[in-house]
Amino acid sequence: MLQLSPDRTRKILADAAFRELVSGRARLRWGLSILTLLMFFGFIALISTAKAALGASFAGSAMPVGFAIALLMVAAIIAFTGFYVQRSNTRFDELTRLVNQEFGR
Amino acid sequence: MIVRSLLIALCVAFPFAAMAQGTTATRVRGPDWIAIGMFLMIVAVTLVITWRSAGSTGSKAGFYTAGHAITPVQNGLATAGDFLSAAAFLGISALVYANGFDGFIYALGFLTGWPIVLFLMSERMRNLGSYTFADAAAFRLQRTPVRLVAATGSLVVVLFYLIAQLIGAGKVIQLLFGMNYIFAVLGVGVLMILYVIVGGMQATTWVQITKAVLLLCGGTLLALAALWHFDFSLGRLLAAASQVHPKGAAILVPGGLFAEPVSAISLGLALVFGTAGLPHILMRFFTVKDAAAARKSVFYATACVAYFCWIIPVLGFAAAAILMTDPSYFNVAASGQFNKIADLIGGPNMASIHLAHAMGGPLLLGFISAVAFATILAVVAGLTLAGASAVSHDIYGQVLAGGKASEVRELLVSKISAVAIGVVAVLLAYAFENQNVAFMAGLALSVAASCNFPVLAMAMFWRGTTTRGAVAGGLAGLVASVVLVVLSKTVWVAVFGFSTALFPYDNPALFSMPLAFLLVWLFSVTDRSERASCEREAFAAQFIQSEIGTALASKRPALAAAVS
Repeated sequence: MLQLSPDRTRKILADAAFRELVSGRARLRWGLSILTLLMFFGFIALISTAKAALGASFAGSAMPVGFAIALLMVAAIIAFTGFYVQRSNTRFDELTRLVNQEFGR
Repeated sequence: MIVRSLLIALCVAFPFAAMAQGTTATRVRGPDWIAIGMFLMIVAVTLVITWRSAGSTGSKAGFYTAGHAITPVQNGLATAGDFLSAAAFLGISALVYANGFDGFIYALGFLTGWPIVLFLMSERMRNLGSYTFADAAAFRLQRTPVRLVAATGSLVVVLFYLIAQLIGAGKVIQLLFGMNYIFAVLGVGVLMILYVIVGGMQATTWVQITKAVLLLCGGTLLALAALWHFDFSLGRLLAAASQVHPKGAAILVPGGLFAEPVSAISLGLALVFGTAGLPHILMRFFTVKDAAAARKSVFYATACVAYFCWIIPVLGFAAAAILMTDPSYFNVAASGQFNKIADLIGGPNMASIHLAHAMGGPLLLGFISAVAFATILAVVAGLTLAGASAVSHDIYGQVLAGGKASEVRELLVSKISAVAIGVVAVLLAYAFENQNVAFMAGLALSVAASCNFPVLAMAMFWRGTTTRGAVAGGLAGLVASVVLVVLSKTVWVAVFGFSTALFPYDNPALFSMPLAFLLVWLFSVTDRSERASCEREAFAAQFIQSEIGTALASKRPALAAAVS
């Protein structure tokens, strides 16, 4: 476990780079989580309200609309996770390094 | 050395036992020698992996986490492997086969858990813990009570999941090789214990990677073969399936499973948040060197699981379109009638296996059966290791020995618990032979979503969480989810024989999970003790470490493990 004096803890918490890291990551983390959950539970809500519409054919093909939406949701989930990892690798890891350097750890 | 000679003995003896069983029992389409050969090859490969990993289990870091030295790609594959159990591969394609589109939504629920694991769990877990998820939960809280709750939650989840997998394993092997159910379960049990006690996390990880690669290749091959039959047109495949399926075009529309909103949301919650509370999945984050690697490995795992989500409906619908027109895959009654779902030889769970036979004859059948078998072996090994580490690291090492247990003793306890868990699981799998597998797996996910996940999430994200709150919430979630399942139709009516269920829904998560969160909150805010205010104060240091990690952990994993 990390041993930090109260004074040092306060300093890190007040540090500009640390604050930027924390608030930026929190926005991304909770934003994407809420989006993911809304997507899935929205789809479940759609099923119980507009079942018939989901069974209709999609643009003249034999593919039902609901099926197409579900396939797209799978793609969206890969995109969300990819986006999060890409942002973290480029932006947040950089900030983390900065904070660690600043406090000489 | 003794262990190694045991291994050799097993290498030699197991094949003969399998063959002896194979020749005497009744079988479906004559002896599947190709299937048996491939099955033996897989067993041999996993035993070689285990043997080669035998040197890695001398230290705690080596045994529990493969020395934190697994790369993100490897760990991603292994994590996906942990998740894509036989229940996922055979079970969900069977759901699609029987119910059509609903099975796909089920798979989608499983997948939706992954981004949540990535966003909320992976990085903080890796920054705060070293061996088990209880490390992170108990970071600033009282060690004894919090670890006991976390370890109990882990063990309940592991045991239910393990029994479900073993029952599935027994049934698959029984059908494929004509082995007796009890011998099949026993064989899998012995192999999984061996992987864990001889090879630890390193062997378990490599068995998992082997299986994940095989499963992805096998699934792709089977899906391509099936799509080729329909000129690679998904639309044509769906049309063909709906023409021959007894439910007709209804299989293209969401129906029964998700029709009723309360049950649907409850099931959805268990699927989504259960994943974020599965101990064997959470444990995988400690096998990589730092939080960045944990995050990357979840991305690779998500990509694999998502890819599989695309494949599984293809397999299910293709099995319906192709098998349902061919009576040779069914138990046909004397009258020539058969039920296109229930009478499939070996039950609907065998849909993908039969599809393999229809697409590529005995060769593909052998390959896909062997893949299914490898899937089972790998998942049960991962579960056993997670259960054993909950007993040895959390209960023995941290609670009973107060964190002062010697490494050698803790490892010994761990190996003994792996054997004990294996024996208990085999006995229970024998006792519950005819229990519904999906129900057991569902119960495991509900407990994970109602006990492990709330405790962990609140301890990591909410400053106000105190020991009292975490313990009250965790226990309430655990008890509520188990009791509500017992009172629901699946147990109260089907097992105990009462006429109506006391709890009207199949899945408890919608009620037990919010209850757990509520009680964590309630018992924390009302906690006015000295200790509680210290714990709230300690959140700042935990928060810093959870965000930026320890410099030690990112540079020298072995050292970090030694000091933590």
